[in-house]
Amino acid sequence: MGRTRRQQHGELFRGYLDPKRPHAEAYDEMFAPDSTVRQAYRRLHDSLAPSSAADLTARSEALDRALVDQGITFSLSGQERPFPLDLIPRVITAQEWSRLERGIVQRVRALEAFLADVYGDQQIIRDGVLPRRLITSCQHFHRQAAGVNPPNGVRVHVSGVDIVRDADGVFRVLEDNLRCPSGVSYVMENRRTMARVFPDLFAKHRVRAVGDYAVHLLRSLRAAAAPNVADPMVVVLTPGVHNSAYFEHSLLARQMGVELVEGRDLFCRDNAVYVRTTEGERQVDVVYRRIDDEFLDPVHFRPDSVLGVAGLLNAARAGNVVIANAVGNGVGDDKLVYAYLPEIMKYYLGETPLLSNVDTFRCWLPDERAQVLDRTDELVVKPVEGSGGYGIVFGPDATAKELNTLRRKIRSDPRSWIAQPVVQLSTVPTKVGGRLRPRHVDLRPFAVNDGESVFVLPGGLTRVAIPEGSLVVNSSQGGGSKDTWVLAARSSTVDAELSGHGLAAGSTPEEVAPDQGPELTSAQQQQQQQQ
Amino acid sequence: MSWRVRVVHTTGYRYEAPVMQSYNEARLTPRSDRRQNLVAGRVETTPATRSYRYTDYWGTEVTSFDLHAPHTELKIVSSSVVETGPTVMPHNGITWRDLRGGEVVDRYAELLESTRYVPRDRELASIARDLRKGRNPTEAVLAISEWVHDQLTYTRGTTGVHSSAVDAWRAREGVCQDYAHLTLAMLRAIGIPGRYVSGYLHTKANAKVGETVRGESHAWIEAWTGGWWGFDPTNDIEIGPRHIWVALGRDYADVSPLKGTYSGGQASAIEVSVNVTRLA
Repeated sequence: MGRTRRQQHGELFRGYLDPKRPHAEAYDEMFAPDSTVRQAYRRLHDSLAPSSAADLTARSEALDRALVDQGITFSLSGQERPFPLDLIPRVITAQEWSRLERGIVQRVRALEAFLADVYGDQQIIRDGVLPRRLITSCQHFHRQAAGVNPPNGVRVHVSGVDIVRDADGVFRVLEDNLRCPSGVSYVMENRRTMARVFPDLFAKHRVRAVGDYAVHLLRSLRAAAAPNVADPMVVVLTPGVHNSAYFEHSLLARQMGVELVEGRDLFCRDNAVYVRTTEGERQVDVVYRRIDDEFLDPVHFRPDSVLGVAGLLNAARAGNVVIANAVGNGVGDDKLVYAYLPEIMKYYLGETPLLSNVDTFRCWLPDERAQVLDRTDELVVKPVEGSGGYGIVFGPDATAKELNTLRRKIRSDPRSWIAQPVVQLSTVPTKVGGRLRPRHVDLRPFAVNDGESVFVLPGGLTRVAIPEGSLVVNSSQGGGSKDTWVLAARSSTVDAELSGHGLAAGSTPEEVAPDQGPELTSAQQQQQQQQ
Repeated sequence: MSWRVRVVHTTGYRYEAPVMQSYNEARLTPRSDRRQNLVAGRVETTPATRSYRYTDYWGTEVTSFDLHAPHTELKIVSSSVVETGPTVMPHNGITWRDLRGGEVVDRYAELLESTRYVPRDRELASIARDLRKGRNPTEAVLAISEWVHDQLTYTRGTTGVHSSAVDAWRAREGVCQDYAHLTLAMLRAIGIPGRYVSGYLHTKANAKVGETVRGESHAWIEAWTGGWWGFDPTNDIEIGPRHIWVALGRDYADVSPLKGTYSGGQASAIEVSVNVTRLA
């Protein structure tokens, strides 16, 4: 069987599993080490294998054209570029997804409880579970947000959990994003583009839909409003057209059917927030803001900010408006706090994490710092505040001089650094030139909490590192993305999912509808919402 | 011995051009604790506003208010009646070793770290270490306060609202805010948790009942040596019935009596007065 499969791999995959490739020990999601095709990718592989390089290039060109037509760009160090979408999707089986989903939901629940406590009575500190200094030394612990209690208790309306797959194929959480995680528009747009270019592949797979994200987001935002508001007014607050994620802000506002506003369109009076419209003022109940805390309210944060709305935080404190996500969530995604997540989860939920963290050295603890200083050249050292991959040092790639500078920085401010072993991110075939090559990927699923339940959008943003051997997948560092396919379960019973069967050929119908054109799905659901 | 004191703190601003949108927070209401009891307190503004009160992270009573009608003057009057307590005695009995212990360091981490107003400074730290020699922590607090009192000359105008402890030290001049910041910088340098206290001072030690004197908006420090106790480095005196505390924090930024943003013409302070009357 293995032999025949190998023969069928075809021209595109020639040399794919070259044992001399960088990070050859990484887990390849399509091929097992004996070069048999893994279950999840079997149909995809069988559809692709007979293609020629010319077919691939034609498809790829069609994809690029579609992307340019849709005007999807992102900003790379200040420059707008089309967001590269690779034409080979990343496939996740129903069983894998069900594990991921439960792990993410658990994480969101724990972090919600943690944030509520940190900005409330701080019982976790009083009980000696976490050192007080862990919280108070956190740069994003915003004391201004103490005592702000959202009506339905939700602070993490939207989260993006960055997940990687290690050399054993185990999913691990690399970091949480609880502030303004972006990227969900790429998930929806990638799917729309892929459906246009590869209708045949979608016909052969039962891929779970992602187009209804905005429905879930709107439900969460409406649920967040104070209970005595019958028909809550929701707005999306954007920093403006120059923001790298403006496309996403406008897309979400349009899909939710709510106003997209800038700070100057809103104002506060007597602790209520109003939007200026052509028909006069209208009170706003929920602000889905895509502005960082520091710029949100000049009364409490940077007084020179012109992006925000003066008085917004006190309006939220008075209970007249809900800020989503809540102010000060950054304390929950600090990378040092992350290292304490097992304790946090045990304390609030009495559970152990379903999704493990990546092993993390906490530089502020003397013995762990000593290890980091000793092994800097083999570790990945990260600033606890960093996002977008900035400030991260890959020990194995750094020069002696860089390592010395880094050691000095760690010694002078150990609280600001953590270190992790280099995770051999899993690889997925990716088009490079006329061939398919293994490239490293991560995954950012998006979770939406409406206070009753946590919805995880099936799939998420798969980011791929394009340069050979690169393990840095961040879009701010020149990565690309892949459409992420979560396959629908063969049957909806929990037993079947846990019993270890993957998706078999000739599946029977199930609860979850296959994706048959995401734009249609989202439009329909949007209509339902408005009825 | 305790006093009953009325404090009337008036602040007025005049704007060059009419102001339309003004958002403000006042931290002007004294708090109650074991030593001090707030009998009555209110904050009023002209033009009148609908104010909103909350207690912030540091336990300070905040009055927030906003104005929308065009105005060229704004007056904020905070009046309160407070029963103050007897003279505060230093807390004694803790050792340097206790202060270095993990529990103290963790519990008071925020009050041991540097801030923008209370930065780390090599020179100040070395002076603090010298002053520490041969003294227990309580004595060191007093020695540092006295040293700050001796080094700085009380002068208005040299330092501003944004000056740090180091700025004041370089100038060798400052006001109560600078005395407090400089003392805190040195206390924290030798591992003594310290916090900034904002409040008022009745300027006359032998005041008669019913006599109104011009008081001042004041600042001093509290140190933790097994328990919190205050000292006034500006005047080199203990905290007594003449001191009325309003807010505690890491530095001035946590307790600033008035802050806000507005759109309109340049503001100038036209009136700042603190009238203090001993009632009993």
